[in-house]
Order: sequence, then structure tokens, then C-alpha cells
Amino acid sequence: MTQTLDVGERFSPLDSSHTIGSPASTTRTSAKFGTFSITFGIAFPLLYTVYERLNWPLITFHPVLGVVDFWRQPAGVGPPMFWYGWITLAIPTALVVALAATLIAEQWLRRGTVFCCALAVLWPSALAGLRIFIVDWATFDADFLNSEWVAAIPAFVAAAVITYYVPARLAERVWTSWLLIAPIGGLIVLGYSLLQPWFLR
Amino acid sequence: MNIIFSVIREDTFWKILLFIHFLFAVGLLAAVTLQAATVLMPARQMAGTYIDRGPVPTASYAPLVVTLYLLQLLMGSLIYIKYRTYVRIPMEELRYFWTVGSFEFKEHVAAMGLGLLPAYWYFWQQPSSTEYANVRRWVTVFLAVTVWYAFVVGHVVNNFRGVGS
Repeated sequence: MTQTLDVGERFSPLDSSHTIGSPASTTRTSAKFGTFSITFGIAFPLLYTVYERLNWPLITFHPVLGVVDFWRQPAGVGPPMFWYGWITLAIPTALVVALAATLIAEQWLRRGTVFCCALAVLWPSALAGLRIFIVDWATFDADFLNSEWVAAIPAFVAAAVITYYVPARLAERVWTSWLLIAPIGGLIVLGYSLLQPWFLR
Repeated sequence: MNIIFSVIREDTFWKILLFIHFLFAVGLLAAVTLQAATVLMPARQMAGTYIDRGPVPTASYAPLVVTLYLLQLLMGSLIYIKYRTYVRIPMEELRYFWTVGSFEFKEHVAAMGLGLLPAYWYFWQQPSSTEYANVRRWVTVFLAVTVWYAFVVGHVVNNFRGVGS
């Protein structure tokens, strides 16, 4: 006679105020905030990972001097700190993406999310693939291929193809799953980048 | 900063800050762990309509978790300045590379948790909604993991050069 219930289905004095008798405008605002917060949660880890990997900090902090410089600056007196810069760049750009997400139709948002996430995987993969090709396979001087902009071409095409062929229902169903896939994927990439400098030293 | 350092010694100031950081960390750890444990162990429906409710009002923990997480991130960001010059450099010289690497990873883990906070807040505004039940559960667990990782690594680094070391 004992069944399990999802925790979300529990009785709670807090629940009713949000779900029963809410005016339509409140529901719409809540839905907009939902779109905003979920998109922010997907965009932020992707952008943070990209900025960290490309080392694009909005600011550089020099702790010894107590000086903040705009964009990436080399070490002066003492070590430079970039982490603040990646965060301060990722927050406003993810906010812009999240705000834009509240303005577009839901089906485009789902497809756009698939496209961006596919691109986030395919772009660095294409670049890594090109570098392997240049070193191990190319029989001519293929150094011109060693560029992130050359890698962008197959990555954009492949991401567009994937987005086109992913069924709308699947894109909708997995949309909130990106909330976990994006930060975990980002941490795998960032963790891998720490192996050589620290863990395998 | 100079005004503060004219009242108390610089190292005393940083140790007080680090200790407050620790206290908040314990509070955050308790709140998010209880919440994560509760979402992982669903309530049971006993005979009839009676539902065996857990002792933790999970939804009411969300504002506390968000507030403490942001406070911790701000305090950690401040203490990070001291860490970079006073702790990390000797750590590298003594070849504590695993500790430095773990702390580097902690920065990224904390950032990923920050990105999830708005969604976490949103999901817990509607704790009875079944639409987001699954993702709410795993976002909460992910946040708990980030807090635990940050706590453990922070503690290890503190033991190298911090309060009581």
C-alpha cells in the first residue's frame, strides 16, 4: 500500500499561493521569467567556458598593485587574475541571450538552443580535427587550415544540419536538460584543460 | 582597505574574513544538503490519502541557499585576492600541484553554480509543479555537489595556509 510520490507533489503551505488563482498576467510573467532563467542557466556555462578557453576576460585584476585593467593584460608586478574577467563578461552576455530568449517564439528558442549547444561541441572538435589532419595526414602545407575561423565553417554547417533534423518534440523535451548538460560539459572541458598544467605535472 | 588595516592587523582581518566565509559555508552546506537529500528521497504515500511528509520544508530553503551562495561567492572573490599572492605562490613553490589544480577547478565549479541560480530559484517558486520536478531535483543536487566540492577544497587550502594552520 505504500507508493512513492515525487517531492514536487507534496502538500506544502507554500504551494497554493503560486498555483491557484493566479491572474493571467502573473502566469505570463512567471513563464517569461522561466524562459529567462533557464536560458541564462544554459548560456552562462557555455559562454564562461568559451571565454575561459579563449582567455577573454572583460577585466584583468593585478592583486599586488590592486589595479583593474580593461580586457586581457599581461603580468605586470605580480600575477594577473582573469577569473573576475571571465565572470564579468559571461554574466552580461548571458543576460543579453536570456533577454533575447524571452522575445522569440518558443519553438525557435528550442531550436536555437540545440544549434548553440551543437555548435559549442562541434567548433572546438572541428578545430582539433583540423590540427590532427595538419600534423598526421596532410601531404601539403596545410597550415592555413589551423584557424578557428576555418573550423567554424564545418561546425556551423554541421550544427545547422543537426538542428534541422532534430524533431521539434525532442528539442522541446530536452530543453531543460541542457541546464545540466551545459555546466557538466563545461566542467569536463575546463577540468581536462587543468590536467596537464596541474594534475599530470 | 587602509582604513580597516589601521584598526586591525592585516592578517587578523583576512583570518576573520576567512572564518566568516567558513561559517557561511557550513550554513549553505547544511541547507543545500538537506534540500538535495529530501528531493532524492521522495515522500511516501501511506494507506489512503495520508502522505508521509518529510521533516524538511524544501521550498523554503531556496531563498536561503541563493542568498548564502551569492554571499559566499562575493566573500570568496574577495579572499581569492589574498589566496593568489599569499597562498598559491608558496603552494606552487612547494609543488602542491594537485591542491592548486583542485582550487583552479573550484573557481569553475563555483561559476557554474552561479549560472544555475536563477533557474534554481524559478523551479523552487513552484515546488508543486510536476512540469519541472525532474530538472528541479537534479539542479538542486548539482548545486549541492558544487557546494560540497568548494567546501572540501577550500578546507584543504585553508589547512595549507589559513585559519589555524
